[in-house]
Amino acid sequence: MIWSAFASEWVKMRRRRLWYGSYGAITGVVMMTTIVTIAGALHRPDARGELTLAQLAHASGLSQGLTQSGVLLGAVSFSIAAFQFGGEFAHGTLRNLLVRQPRRSVLMAGKCLAVLTFLIGAVVAATMVAICAAFVMAHLRGIPTGAWTSGVGMGDLGILLGDLTISACGFAIIGMIAGVLLRSSVIAIAAGLAVLLPIETILTDAIPGTGRWLPAQLLESIAQGGSSAAPFSAALITVSAYLLGAVLIAMLVFVRQDVTA
Amino acid sequence: MSAAALATEPVVQVTGRGSDSYAVSTLGLTKRFGKRLAVDGLDLRIPAGSITGFVGPNGAGKTTTIRMLLGLIRPSAGRGRVLGHPLGDSRAYLPRVGALIEGPTFYPTLSGRENLMVLARLGRINTKRVDMVIERVGLGVRGLDPFRTYSLGMRQRLGIGAALLPGPELLVLDEPTNGLDPHGIAEIRAMLRSFADDGMTVFVSSHLLAEIQQICEHLVVIEAGRLIFQGGVEELLAARAPELIVRTESQQDARNLLRLVNRIGRSARIVGDEEGTTLEIGADCNWAGELNRLAMGEGITLVHLAERRSTLEEAFFEITRNSRQETACNGDAPGAARGSDRFSGARRRSAGRS
Repeated sequence: MIWSAFASEWVKMRRRRLWYGSYGAITGVVMMTTIVTIAGALHRPDARGELTLAQLAHASGLSQGLTQSGVLLGAVSFSIAAFQFGGEFAHGTLRNLLVRQPRRSVLMAGKCLAVLTFLIGAVVAATMVAICAAFVMAHLRGIPTGAWTSGVGMGDLGILLGDLTISACGFAIIGMIAGVLLRSSVIAIAAGLAVLLPIETILTDAIPGTGRWLPAQLLESIAQGGSSAAPFSAALITVSAYLLGAVLIAMLVFVRQDVTA
Repeated sequence: MSAAALATEPVVQVTGRGSDSYAVSTLGLTKRFGKRLAVDGLDLRIPAGSITGFVGPNGAGKTTTIRMLLGLIRPSAGRGRVLGHPLGDSRAYLPRVGALIEGPTFYPTLSGRENLMVLARLGRINTKRVDMVIERVGLGVRGLDPFRTYSLGMRQRLGIGAALLPGPELLVLDEPTNGLDPHGIAEIRAMLRSFADDGMTVFVSSHLLAEIQQICEHLVVIEAGRLIFQGGVEELLAARAPELIVRTESQQDARNLLRLVNRIGRSARIVGDEEGTTLEIGADCNWAGELNRLAMGEGITLVHLAERRSTLEEAFFEITRNSRQETACNGDAPGAARGSDRFSGARRRSAGRS
């Protein structure tokens, strides 16, 4: 059942325009942050503790640029997922889908899985491109890259890729929920990005300690492998609880609501 | 079926075409959006294997009714059965139902074929049917073009194609001829006939009453969410008295014929042309011979004698007008217009005449 909904969604997601747009945006974001991070690395440590070339030469150096892409990657993931779900209401295509698959929870689960696999593919592809960019930038800035390809370096990279993927999937699930609840891709993307980016940032700066509770801050912390405000495991547990609750509410609303679009 | 029999349980048995069973039946189907009553206690019966027209003014509740039948909207009250299954169990009957609801909506950047593939995969329908359906609705190679490049006619064809994908027993089409030119309408009409010939039950809503009259055997008329007629199209048309149209040689002959007809208790009036030679006489073609003999006996020469049957449009306006008057008389209370079987005006007169 879920497989049918999954396969059906993938027919849509094979659209070239969606691939170019989504994979292009995600790759662009990850590559850009990698290039900017390596390009901005200092020769000597400064008082603000900015990244130095010596730090980049360590085994974890390759991951440093990628780490910074968490929020932007999340924003793109959120938008793609909100578009895929909210668009069904906006286009009026949801009614066609529900006639062919009346089990709404199955439809939602299949679509959700398809969007997540699409995004996981995009994150992996973007990371590969960013790694190539990192090697080019390292060569340009004279950073030795021997440690990057060591076992420790590859391990760090694998962990980072996992963290980025979890974070992107978290943002995507929030996007799907917004699309279902707001029934419009435009409103879902606009409202969601406004809350997740500026509003959460302002709240975090204004009220100390809120970073431990706000979903985008927690997902950013997960992308970075944990932060002082929200350690990785605590962030993962809190976000998982949020997402589980929100998914259940969205599922309940989706299953019970009248489809008038 | 009497109103009392219907009041017990909607009877649905789907058997072959020509049986008196129903593909769809509802009892007191009601939908309320806040304070607005969109569908008011609808008792619907769609004979299996028929082409049934579903007509009513804009906002009458046609699309809401169709959405309830398809499980997209939850009824506020009432019950029903579709293809033998309760209305609440749409997953049991929807695999055997094809639907085009409120016009064709598809993903604009996908081709027609890809759009159908989305639905085929979702409904676990053999994907070979996609190409068959594209051929059947006449899209041909254009099925490979993006949906956004389609003309309105092609969009409607794709919508009908999507409805045909599961090889349905019941085809529900909401305004399938909307926006089509006369050629496109004729093609859709032929297509619907061929579906009925294949044994499908076709339930089609349309504003085009002339089209409904041409293709439908059965008719459901609703207004303001209430059922005001359901039955055979011929039955509805027969309920409105046919007229003989007669033209005489001269104005004097017309006046003489009018007096003659009135004298024997038939209604008649001189109509239309400035010459004043045409009469409408309240009688059917069985009386035409008698009229001709009477006219000849009085030395009146008839230059034209023909029966004029009422159109569905005239019948529709009459029953909706009667329904409004009845509702006004009953104080416009919800459900006030309900008769024993909620047939008003023409239908009740029809019963009286027989």
